[in-house]
Amino acid sequence: MPDSMTVADPRVEVLQALFASATHDASTAMCRWTDGLITLTLDEVREIPLETVCEELNLGDELLTMVVLSLEGEVGGEMILTFDESNGRQLAASLLGRPADDSPEWSDLEKSALTETGNILGCAYMNALTRLIDSELVPSPPYFIQDFGASVLQQALMAQAMTCDQVVICRTGFHRRGEELNWRVIFVPTTAMRTAMIGALHSAP
Amino acid sequence: MASITALRTTQDATVGMGGIAVARDPARLSSVLGSCVGVALYHARHRVGALAHVVLPESSGFTAAPGKFADTAIADMLRQLRQLGAGTTGLVAKIAGGASMFATSGPLQIGSNNVQKVTELLQAEGIRIAGRCVGGVKGRRVTLDCSNGNFLVEIAGAASRML
Repeated sequence: MPDSMTVADPRVEVLQALFASATHDASTAMCRWTDGLITLTLDEVREIPLETVCEELNLGDELLTMVVLSLEGEVGGEMILTFDESNGRQLAASLLGRPADDSPEWSDLEKSALTETGNILGCAYMNALTRLIDSELVPSPPYFIQDFGASVLQQALMAQAMTCDQVVICRTGFHRRGEELNWRVIFVPTTAMRTAMIGALHSAP
Repeated sequence: MASITALRTTQDATVGMGGIAVARDPARLSSVLGSCVGVALYHARHRVGALAHVVLPESSGFTAAPGKFADTAIADMLRQLRQLGAGTTGLVAKIAGGASMFATSGPLQIGSNNVQKVTELLQAEGIRIAGRCVGGVKGRRVTLDCSNGNFLVEIAGAASRML
């Protein structure tokens, strides 16, 4: 097993600096996409024991609406954009310029509005990562999932779980005109991505 | 980690990734699963049960977190159940999970590998698998009732199943 970082590890602080910059870019993109309505802040970059990660991120057995974007390859990761039902519906409605739908099934248009949001956020993060590690990243198309948040996070953690008992999580919060929203972006880098990011930051002039 | 991987209780408990819980009637043990596999073992006469939240199929010699791997998890569950008087004879297994949650194939088909490994190990121990709800693309919430061995599997957007 490779050695793992502690919360106080300077490597976590390095990742924090990177994701603060990437979140700034993502916030700018989101602000433009939502006509100035929504901004983002980086809440934390943290290393968490595998066993407690869902509990610590408060991703229990709640059903969530999510958009997932995978960075394929060894230097990769998963980005998960999560909403509760009402927040997801409200975002879709505001993007589509119509009242929130209250039917049980999401329409294709609503799903499309959310996956496009995931795409915009994902591209902003991926552009920041590409600039940093100077390596081509191959994102999947974003896809829409409604499921237990813990189940989806579990799958995202698999690549890290193969080599570590501690996992690095980057978590972002959303705000609408200063008010905190129950949306989150969770980015789970693979071990190779984590190493590449840290290496690139240390070798930067 | 030890308090979670080797939890014994008569209280309800949630089992996190790589965790094992062993409990007596009337406890209920639950877990939320994606590609991980929930392995429930139950001994009806002793009314004790165990639930492991298996993350990966093979430990490859790593033993610090026994609940994380199928091979070490099943061995550790059997050891803990024996300490509570429940030997392998009379034990019944039920398994759930092993989904492939994401649309992209990726390098990891962990879910099906987990299911296959767990099945092989239980068969090698001579433990009957009395019910299974595995595969697919959806997450599951499972609950083992240690008063009767019922294993409830809830799937997002679908009807629940009692194994």
